Amino acid sequence: MTTTTAPPSKPSVRRTAATPKAGMTRKRREALAAYAFLAPDLLGLLAFVAVPMVLALGVAFFKVDGFGNYQYVGLANYKLMGSDDQLWASLKITAIYVVSFVPIAFVISFGLAMLVRNHFRGIGWVRSAFFLPHVVSLVVVGLIWQFLLVDKRGAVSKLLAPFGLGDVSFLGTPSLALGTYVVISVWFVMGYQMLVLLAGLKDVPKELEDAAQIDGASAWQRFRFVIWPLMRPTSFFVVVNSTIGAVTGLQAFDLVFVLTKGGPARATSTVVLYIYEQAFTFNNIGYAAALTTVVVGILVLCTGLMFAFTKGGRFSED
Amino acid sequence: MSATPNLHRPVSRRSVLRGGLGALAAAGVGGPLLTACGGDGGSGGDGKEMSFWNFYGPSDDGGPQSKWFVDVAEKWNANNDVKVKLRYIPGKDYLNGTTLQTAFQSGEGPDIFLISPGDFLRYYNGGVLQDLSSALPAEAKSDYLPGLLEARSVDGKVYGLPMEIEPLAMYYSEAAFTKAGLSEADLPKTWDQTLAVAEKLTGKDRYGVMFETLPGYYQNFTWYPFLWQGDGTPIKDGKVAFDSPAAVQALKFWKDTIQAKVAPRKALGDGGGDVVSNLGSGAVALQQSGIWAVADMKGKAAKFKYGIIPLPTPDGGKPATDLGGWAFVANSKGKNPEAAAKFIAWALGSTDAEGVERQRQWNTVVKTNVPPRKSVQAAADAKGAFEQGVLKKFVDEIAPTGQPEPRFPPEVYQPIADAIQACQLNGSDPGKAAADAAERIDTFLKTYQGAPIS
Repeated sequence: MTTTTAPPSKPSVRRTAATPKAGMTRKRREALAAYAFLAPDLLGLLAFVAVPMVLALGVAFFKVDGFGNYQYVGLANYKLMGSDDQLWASLKITAIYVVSFVPIAFVISFGLAMLVRNHFRGIGWVRSAFFLPHVVSLVVVGLIWQFLLVDKRGAVSKLLAPFGLGDVSFLGTPSLALGTYVVISVWFVMGYQMLVLLAGLKDVPKELEDAAQIDGASAWQRFRFVIWPLMRPTSFFVVVNSTIGAVTGLQAFDLVFVLTKGGPARATSTVVLYIYEQAFTFNNIGYAAALTTVVVGILVLCTGLMFAFTKGGRFSED
Repeated sequence: MSATPNLHRPVSRRSVLRGGLGALAAAGVGGPLLTACGGDGGSGGDGKEMSFWNFYGPSDDGGPQSKWFVDVAEKWNANNDVKVKLRYIPGKDYLNGTTLQTAFQSGEGPDIFLISPGDFLRYYNGGVLQDLSSALPAEAKSDYLPGLLEARSVDGKVYGLPMEIEPLAMYYSEAAFTKAGLSEADLPKTWDQTLAVAEKLTGKDRYGVMFETLPGYYQNFTWYPFLWQGDGTPIKDGKVAFDSPAAVQALKFWKDTIQAKVAPRKALGDGGGDVVSNLGSGAVALQQSGIWAVADMKGKAAKFKYGIIPLPTPDGGKPATDLGGWAFVANSKGKNPEAAAKFIAWALGSTDAEGVERQRQWNTVVKTNVPPRKSVQAAADAKGAFEQGVLKKFVDEIAPTGQPEPRFPPEVYQPIADAIQACQLNGSDPGKAAADAAERIDTFLKTYQGAPIS
């Protein structure tokens, strides 16, 4: 670049003269590079998420038959929701799933992150072991758990048989199926969340902890007053991300689709599965689009509330 | 030009849902928009090529069923200007996925495709099924067994040609019976006997009997015979008739098998239709499934000894079974629907020696079915296809008691599916479940305007 070849005798003049031509400061160059790296993903998001989302808003006002015919119906699709018992049932199922899965996954992942933050022998192996489930496709996860949870003959039934629980069907009993999904989902995401939280923990300055220790703080106090507050931004990200994932994500669809198809007796019919059913079984694509906008609205509201209560996870001094 | 332009390949569930709830919009709405800028890259190409979407071939394993499809297409292409181009879609995606739906929504449906009775009215009412009548000679029509074409007809016009008949029966494991000290004399004929025998067959590692437990129209398909045995039906003369003693007792029978803990709440493998994974693995002793399992067992568990019996009936009930089977249909909005109709009539309906042989191959060599046409049955008989064993029993005893699978749209089969699920797996009261389902079906029928439901 021209600036670097400038004669040392008149650096300041040459540099200021050259800057507009060379175009960029280091900061701008970095920003541009960042955008370049983000571009493929941004384009994908735009094409496959943003644009369809906006289109869904429009389609929600139409009756769409699945064969390319559109008929304008105004707010009829939204009005229909009031009397749609199965919609409310599926929203309730989703809510139960979210409020059980999100906190459990967070606590366990945080615990794991604390466990593996310090070096010890075999730490790489331990971290990989926790992370491994996340690498596997959820369809495969479904098949693995299907195998483990087979009625009577599965590994889980064999383990429980001595306690007289060998006959329990985890995926075939309505009262147990959703809980089973919570367990499988936690198992699936804990490695990923652990990794994110671990990155947050690495940013907690060791000096602060050392100083607290010298001041006589116990392990719990060091966690409560040093680590926990400094982890707020990371924790916030994990919780919000995990909530959105639990409502719309792969666990709420792929797993259910592979394992129980919303059964037994609709016990695992999550709202995303219900939307899928409306769109692709009943051909009610307009109604499905309307449902989608409502679910997105609920998610935006939930995220907004979380922002409000935690100040977006920022430190109060910011 | 490719028959299946990549532009319109449906967005996969995974990629879409990962991005959030843009799913439906991407799949459902993106279509027309893409079409608008994508020009007329129709699935039918330039009218000289017809796309044929199916879940048999050409598959990666290149098995006999795949080969049959490939051979049929090649044979046609050798003698005709308008060529057939096969596109294989894995069975799970075809049956429960979004591939077909998104294609039709975006006006890019295939020219020829396979359809089950459960989807017939949806596609017919959507106006995309081509009338095959003009391509079908009278002698071909009269060659089909009674009822089969009617189930795929509206106002006397035929819209789909069945490729097979798949009756349901109970499969039993000889080893399980012997081990439980039971003999052939103990094979159940009634529901009560089934429950009693199943209890004897249930052990630490095995269930006595199994019916499908996964929700979906396959489960409905397997349950209808028990409804019919008590002379029940979901719809009669265009009006709901589901709230009947026959429905209540059939719901109760399935519920009883679970409550008595003699049947699993969740099947292995691909579910109730998968005899290899369930009966074949020894996990159940008595399993309801279709005739296709004969070929499956031959291919994957050839040494396993089993037999079949007709579906047990309630006391005083009449024997009944459900006759499933997929049909070839043509897209009336495709590029060349007349040629597609001709292809279908030729592939499945030809009454010359070659056509009969093609059908015989499909129905008794590469797959086990009851042939849907009299001439094909005769040809199969001449080769001794049904002379002995389970296939003989299927043809002689079971198939004659069958009714074609009903062509209920989702608005009818979903309330029934919910009733079955609620009683079977959630201990609901059959009387209330039947009444609830009837009410929902009634609400739908009052505003329904499509072709007759039967």
